[in-house]
Amino acid sequence: MKLARYRSVAILLFVCALLLFVCSDASSLAEPPPPQRIVSLVPNITEELYLLGVQDRIVGVTIYCQRPPEAQSKERVGAVVEVNVEKILSLQPDLVIASPLTDQKQIKKLRDLGVRIEIFKAPQDFEGLCTGFLELAQLVGRGHEAREIIARAEGELAVIIGKAKGLPGPRVFVQIGEKPLVVAGGDSFIDDVVSCAGGVNIAHEVKTSVYSREEVVRRNPDIILIAKMGMAGEREKATWMRYETVKAVQDDRIYTVDSYRFCSPTPLSFVESVKELVRLFHGTE
Amino acid sequence: MGLNSKAWWGGWIVFLAGLLVLVGLFSLGVGAVHIPLRKVVQALATGRGTPEYAILFDVRLPRILLGLAVGGGLAVAGVVLQGMFRNPLVEPYTLGISGGAALGVALNMVVGGSAGFGLFSLPASGFLGAFGVMIVVYLLSAGGGQIKLSRLLLIGVMVSFIAASLIMLIMAMTKVQDLHGIIFWIMGSLQEPSSALIRAILFISLGGLIVSLFFAVDLNALSLGEEEAFHLGVEVERLKKVLFLLASFITGCCVSVTGIIGFVGLVVPHLMRLLVGGDHRILMVTSYLSGAIFLILCDTLARLVLAPTELPVGVITGLVGGGLFIYALSRRGESL
Amino acid sequence: MKDGSVLAITGLSCGYGKRIVLHGVSFAIEKGECVGVIGPNGSGKTTLLRAISGFLPPRGGTISLEGRELHHMGRRSLAQRVAVVTQAPDIMPPFSVEEFVLLGRVPHWRGLQLLETAKDIEIAAEAMEMAGIGHLKERRMGELSGGERQLVFVARALAQAPHLLLLDEPTAHLDIGHQVQIMDLLRELNREEALTIIVVLHDLTLAGLYCDRLILLHEGRLRAIGPPEAVLTKGVIEAVYQTQVTVMETPLGGRPVILPVAGKNQ
Repeated sequence: MKLARYRSVAILLFVCALLLFVCSDASSLAEPPPPQRIVSLVPNITEELYLLGVQDRIVGVTIYCQRPPEAQSKERVGAVVEVNVEKILSLQPDLVIASPLTDQKQIKKLRDLGVRIEIFKAPQDFEGLCTGFLELAQLVGRGHEAREIIARAEGELAVIIGKAKGLPGPRVFVQIGEKPLVVAGGDSFIDDVVSCAGGVNIAHEVKTSVYSREEVVRRNPDIILIAKMGMAGEREKATWMRYETVKAVQDDRIYTVDSYRFCSPTPLSFVESVKELVRLFHGTE
Repeated sequence: MGLNSKAWWGGWIVFLAGLLVLVGLFSLGVGAVHIPLRKVVQALATGRGTPEYAILFDVRLPRILLGLAVGGGLAVAGVVLQGMFRNPLVEPYTLGISGGAALGVALNMVVGGSAGFGLFSLPASGFLGAFGVMIVVYLLSAGGGQIKLSRLLLIGVMVSFIAASLIMLIMAMTKVQDLHGIIFWIMGSLQEPSSALIRAILFISLGGLIVSLFFAVDLNALSLGEEEAFHLGVEVERLKKVLFLLASFITGCCVSVTGIIGFVGLVVPHLMRLLVGGDHRILMVTSYLSGAIFLILCDTLARLVLAPTELPVGVITGLVGGGLFIYALSRRGESL
Repeated sequence: MKDGSVLAITGLSCGYGKRIVLHGVSFAIEKGECVGVIGPNGSGKTTLLRAISGFLPPRGGTISLEGRELHHMGRRSLAQRVAVVTQAPDIMPPFSVEEFVLLGRVPHWRGLQLLETAKDIEIAAEAMEMAGIGHLKERRMGELSGGERQLVFVARALAQAPHLLLLDEPTAHLDIGHQVQIMDLLRELNREEALTIIVVLHDLTLAGLYCDRLILLHEGRLRAIGPPEAVLTKGVIEAVYQTQVTVMETPLGGRPVILPVAGKNQ
């Protein structure tokens, strides 16, 4: 009798051990190593990769990947829309990250030659930004780090939004193009930044498109934001100063902001942008 | 068959064919990625698998073949049209074909997003647009069964302008992402992933050359005027219709795959006329070969000049072609 | 229609667009004749030639070539029988003389033929010799004088080996030396080779001198047809051309010579 019980226990233990073995093997099979040779065709993604700490695995970037400054030392494979297929092939990447802007023909060519390409759509608000960031992180095996960063950003953002809630929300016009005049509509990041900072985008109901200056004058915003730095920004500011009926002109509340940070943010730089706008809208808070 | 004095024809053809092979090899060997000769040999020996092999035979070679097909095709279309109109300023795009193709692609991209309805639909929509324009221009100019050449030319030019304006209208109303796609398509590119499509264009281009050759003698006769050609037994009305459709078809196919690559159809026939004379039999063959050489060289330049950024090949053909043309004219100064 | 007539025209009417130029013209040409077509400007001489060459379709009436109706014949078939010499223009495409003459062989080429045969070259060489321009064979057409160019056009027509040769004012713009050279060539072709010739001329004396018969057109109608002595009479010429002339006879052969009378226009 005792022998029979020992035998069943032994079999049970054996089966468990087997299962454990199989499972651990299966799980290691189910987890391929994260990509080690990454080519990024999106400046935004390049920045995010640096944020996730995988910069050593980046083997190629576009000529427009200027941030962070260290990215400029990486091998260049072309522009954002048109890339150099030869160059990419010679780098033997195991992951290429592209955007919907990338030339479809080149994507197909690379795929036909066995290169793995993931296309990341440009997000349009903070939520989408964080989701995309997380996806990217999981792709390169840094999900844990991403979650931490997102949590931090969300936390900070919540605080800022809370503070801004009670304050009066200015009506804002955001310009992202000089000739022609292009407005940041409800589908853009900036719209989200503005609303997080407690402002109201007067062009919220339209998509990002060419806008009429007369319409802006008619809507009479309290603040005008020009997403262009340097000479172009100053020129636009001077142009606006001619329209003296606009409240933003009267109160001298025309500001230029960093277009790159505002239009292609990471979760962290998004929060930075919001902080900057809060400062502009409400003084220091 | 053939005179002693026609032996120099054979000489030109052999020379140009040889030059074509050399240029093709040159283009194969250079690019944004430097591949030294021993690696080329290695790649040939080991076959598929190495990135060098992929670059040489899957990236560069298809471009060279496409350059051959489109350069040759557009040059021959240029010879045919210049012979038909007896006007040296006519080129394959004068009759509005390119405008129609660009319009078709622009519409496709706007409605279906920057990849259109799948990659194969882009050349298809380009071809439909080109074909549509071809039909419209033909019907408008073939009054009473006869084609009046001056009318055909004017209508073609007007349709070209209308198409260009419509494209600009579409571009003004479209999203930024699609705009990129349309503009880059229009600027012309020899990058095409589908090898089936490249084979098709090669076939059409070479076929176009062969068919055109059978009308070369008629074109010689036509160079004296329609009435003179008639007296030499040429069916002038049928000839005009066939030549128009032939040149438009070749052009439409080329444009729908590569976008608009200008100057090849205008400059190459001219230069060859200065070198080999006006007999269309030799002019067609030499123009085909020279057009191929010209386009492959321009594409190579486009890849090299600002590597890793690639310039659109249409930019290079315009600059190089236009420059060559002006140079050749100023040196010769004789009537075209 | 007589047997042996190369060309038979009955009741021919034709024109351009809405305009009818020829009205009810009828005549027949026999093999080996040299016929001149004369008449004032606008009387329809060139139109008649175009109708015979097949370029202008008739609106009414019939044209028969060697017994067959013209519009039943294919282009090539027609070009193998009828050759046309028009006036040589000033601007020529860049052909050499030999290349230009060889174009005359094109109507005889089989369907997909692309290159000249040795026979073609032989025939072209003969044609150039006959026209007296064999020595110009390598020259570019653009380098030749007007007279030489016109002779090259004739050589090309000869290379076509036609049964009927049509010429439209071949002596226009030529000096008297070249005029005689061309007309002598035509006479030689007519006598030695029995080539049927129809030539439109504006010079009445020249027409009278070289042609067996003359056709006089006036306002699109056949006004007179017959040997030069019968057609070139003072009465007829003055009625048709609306000007005073003197008609004399040449000392050799009795052909008429037409002299204008200066200062007495009606």
